[in-house]
Amino acid sequence: MKQLRRIVLYAGLSIAAITFIYPFLWMASSTFKPPVEVGSLALIPHDFTLDNYRTMWARAPFGRALVNSTFVATTITLAVLVFGSMTAYAMARLNFRGRPALNAATIAVLMVPGQLTLIPLYTLIVQLGWVDTYAALIVPYLFNATAILMLRQFFLQIPQSLIDSARMDGMSEPRILFTIFWPLSKPVLSIVAIFTFMGAWNEVLWPLLVVREQNLMTLPQLLTVFALGGGAGSVGVSLASAMVLVVPVVVAYAFLQRNFIESMAGSGIKG
Amino acid sequence: MRAEQKTASLMAGPYAAFLLVFAVYPIAFALVLVFLQWDLVTAPTFAGADNIRLLVHDGRFWRAVVNTFVFLSIHVPLQIVTALALALTLNRQLVGRSFWRAAFFLPVVISGAVVAILWSQLYATDVGLINRLLLKIGVSPVPWLTDPRTAMPAIAVMVTWKNVGFYVIIYLAGLQYIPRSCQEAIEIEGASAWQRFRYLTLPSLLPQTILVVTLSTINGFQLFIEPYVMTGGGPLRRTYSVVLYLYNNAFAYQKMGYAATIGVALALIIGIVVLAQRRLIGKAEAL
Amino acid sequence: MPSVTFEHVTKRFGDATVIEDFDLQVADGELLVLVGGSGSGKSTILRMLAGLETVTSGRIRIDDRDVTDLAPRDRDVAMVFQDYGLYPHMTVRDNLSLGLRLRKIPRHEIERRVTWAASMLGLEPLLDRKPKALSGGQRQRVAMGRAMVREPKVFLFDEPLSNLDAGLRAQMRIEIGSLQDRLKTTTVYVTHDQVEAMTLGDRIVVLADGRIQQIGRPIELYRTPVNRFVAGFIGTPAMNFIEGTLVADGGRMFFSAEAARLKMRAGTAESSEPITLGIRPEDLRMDFIPQQPTHGSADFDTLTGRVVLVERLGGTSHVHFQVGPHRLMASVASDSLPEVGHDITAHVPAARVHLFGGDGRAIGRTAEIV
Ligand SMILES: Nc1ncnc2c1ncn2[C@@H]1O[C@H](COP(=O)(O)OP(=O)(O)OP(=O)(O)O)[C@@H](O)[C@H]1O
Ligand SMILES: [Mg+2]
Repeated sequence: MKQLRRIVLYAGLSIAAITFIYPFLWMASSTFKPPVEVGSLALIPHDFTLDNYRTMWARAPFGRALVNSTFVATTITLAVLVFGSMTAYAMARLNFRGRPALNAATIAVLMVPGQLTLIPLYTLIVQLGWVDTYAALIVPYLFNATAILMLRQFFLQIPQSLIDSARMDGMSEPRILFTIFWPLSKPVLSIVAIFTFMGAWNEVLWPLLVVREQNLMTLPQLLTVFALGGGAGSVGVSLASAMVLVVPVVVAYAFLQRNFIESMAGSGIKG
Repeated sequence: MRAEQKTASLMAGPYAAFLLVFAVYPIAFALVLVFLQWDLVTAPTFAGADNIRLLVHDGRFWRAVVNTFVFLSIHVPLQIVTALALALTLNRQLVGRSFWRAAFFLPVVISGAVVAILWSQLYATDVGLINRLLLKIGVSPVPWLTDPRTAMPAIAVMVTWKNVGFYVIIYLAGLQYIPRSCQEAIEIEGASAWQRFRYLTLPSLLPQTILVVTLSTINGFQLFIEPYVMTGGGPLRRTYSVVLYLYNNAFAYQKMGYAATIGVALALIIGIVVLAQRRLIGKAEAL
Repeated sequence: MPSVTFEHVTKRFGDATVIEDFDLQVADGELLVLVGGSGSGKSTILRMLAGLETVTSGRIRIDDRDVTDLAPRDRDVAMVFQDYGLYPHMTVRDNLSLGLRLRKIPRHEIERRVTWAASMLGLEPLLDRKPKALSGGQRQRVAMGRAMVREPKVFLFDEPLSNLDAGLRAQMRIEIGSLQDRLKTTTVYVTHDQVEAMTLGDRIVVLADGRIQQIGRPIELYRTPVNRFVAGFIGTPAMNFIEGTLVADGGRMFFSAEAARLKMRAGTAESSEPITLGIRPEDLRMDFIPQQPTHGSADFDTLTGRVVLVERLGGTSHVHFQVGPHRLMASVASDSLPEVGHDITAHVPAARVHLFGGDGRAIGRTAEIV
């Protein structure tokens, strides 16, 4: 009886897991299939081909998009970590006049849904003449209120005597932040890093608004435009272009799986 | 401290400036835009309450709102049930627990655009994977994304599939906090598995459930890339989402004032819905 | 030349005045102990001297150099914190040397000082460990080593031993004492532990509510507390107090309270205000066989009461007894102890009695300080 229940349990889990993994495997294998085969359920291509990738690469600047996405997501992540922790350090550990106001404003900003500010931000970018620039993709994301609050919360728990010791040892405040606080904050820093990078890497609505020039498009944007605009022409090509976006994430996910999951949970628990 | 004040303003000042330009100003300007007509090319003109009046009578907007509620009425309950069921299963002693967890979490890290493109293929009427599977068990093909009755539910199921891993983690975290002593106490009372779930687990997970409801609702109101990629809002506008409508007004029709009005209205609706949900759950809890 | 000088230093946090008009001079090579209750402002004073807290008004000097507006690093002071403040991600060696490296001290000199401090504190085998891998006492030593290698003008200690258990605390106390004897560095030491204050301090400053109550050598504070606060604060177990009045009778002064009448020393001034009499538990001598009606006794140097509690501490014991409404305690040798419920007689030597006026200030002893 007990044995039977175990079998049922694992069988159920396996079926569930297959529904989550199989579509991606099917997607991957389809990119290596000629058009006639794409509809098949089989995971091993009958006639292995790289044509889909060749077509995809030739029709749209995916290499360029990969570079753009990497550049944009990396810059944003670094900025959020560096500027965010400088801000959080000041908000957590230094006394200054505007501190309560800044705290309140940060929390208030998080309460406002992004849809409210989307259009005014877009008109701002247009007026600044930033349409079709990296600035439009990066500058509005240089600071992140959620990240700042998470970092601040963590920094509040670091003992005052560490700051005092460091000041007695002659360190400046930024130096205390980067040589004392950072090594102690690795968990929260990696959460913020993963969370920010993923958000920037997958973002599609904002680029769709502020970038029209193909050479500046990020991967998800180019992928969307490519798939919708019929540039792909066939399912295999369309899925092949999606692979460019998926593979780096899945590779990173395989290595950092635990961190990924915890970072998303961490962001959710803040809610 | 003078020096401290100076250091602090150097460290926090850029953020304060950023907030002013990229948060405070847009919020204020959104409210101004509501009363403007502006195509971004010619100078904006004052439109009085035109945008608001238009919005109130705009069938397309309200269609999108109704669509969103259809989406939510499927997505939110389904999300809770699936996430809870998977979390309870994963909370047992399992061989390869982190593998299972990672499997369910995989779609969470994948871009929504990719998921939408992939599922367009899975849902395709003639060659779609799902219909092929159905065919094997003798069910005739369903035009998932082209039938007005099934299109939105299909998208809701897909979004649930994409996000469930995230909510599983939240529930799993919540399950850690149920004290051992409570579980042992209720077992000594002789409660059945269902009773244990009904009287201990479910009430203990209320904070997580509230979180799941709130987050999946907010997420539902942000629905954009899925209809944009999969259906373009059709068939018969049944998958048109509010954000898609907002995007089209700004991007395709160059109506900034109206697009901003939609944004403000959407923010209000989100606020009201989330508050109402919390009230309701609070009341249900009190019963 | 004084090594450290506070001049009219006041510190406010918002509207709350924490330190008011604080004046103090610490002599060169002296170990000065700051004691006081929780929240009395000890740490604040130390942190102002370190430069970790600004001064609202007044000046602070170190060796005649005005350091009031200098950053901590420019003051030539080193501090040992209650929770040590060791950098958790650095080895002991790095913890010790960081301050020197930041000051661009030559490599070989850093090496010399670290070796010297490590050998003095017995840290050599621990140099490559991280703080997490050290015991409480070892961490404490590293914190002291970090201050020592700086070779500062002034050492600051903020309750350095309060995170240690009793045995270790006693041992470290002795080590700090002997270290200070050898180094002869001016030291300001904050504690709320009396024993530390009494045994380590060249002088003690007693603080209450951010004001100095008394400054003096430990024995002076013990023998001649200037007010009731200091009397109650210095000395363990704490002094007994009885409220009453002074009455003149036949040319002698008597202290009179309910169920108690005691003859005072010759020369005790007359006073009409309410008086508090203080007597240390160790100054009470006890008779277990109650003498007959003491109130009638011509000597008037005893109190009669009933034992309510006996705490046996080993060599000595604390006998709590009730005299009318007054609860008193005597510290006596444990050889022979009274039983609870029995009556006893306690001798109150007039020479050991402290008297405090209505404002709490000591009276009538000024002529007698030895
Ligand atoms: N940063 C601050 N802001 C506001 N008030 C403070 C601050 N630091 C200290 N205080 C107040 O100043 C007073 C003195 O504090 P301080 O830390 O100097 O006391 P202490 O004598 O060291 O006490 P303890 O023995 O508990 O360490 C306390 O009332 C405290 O609440
Ligand atoms: Mg203190």
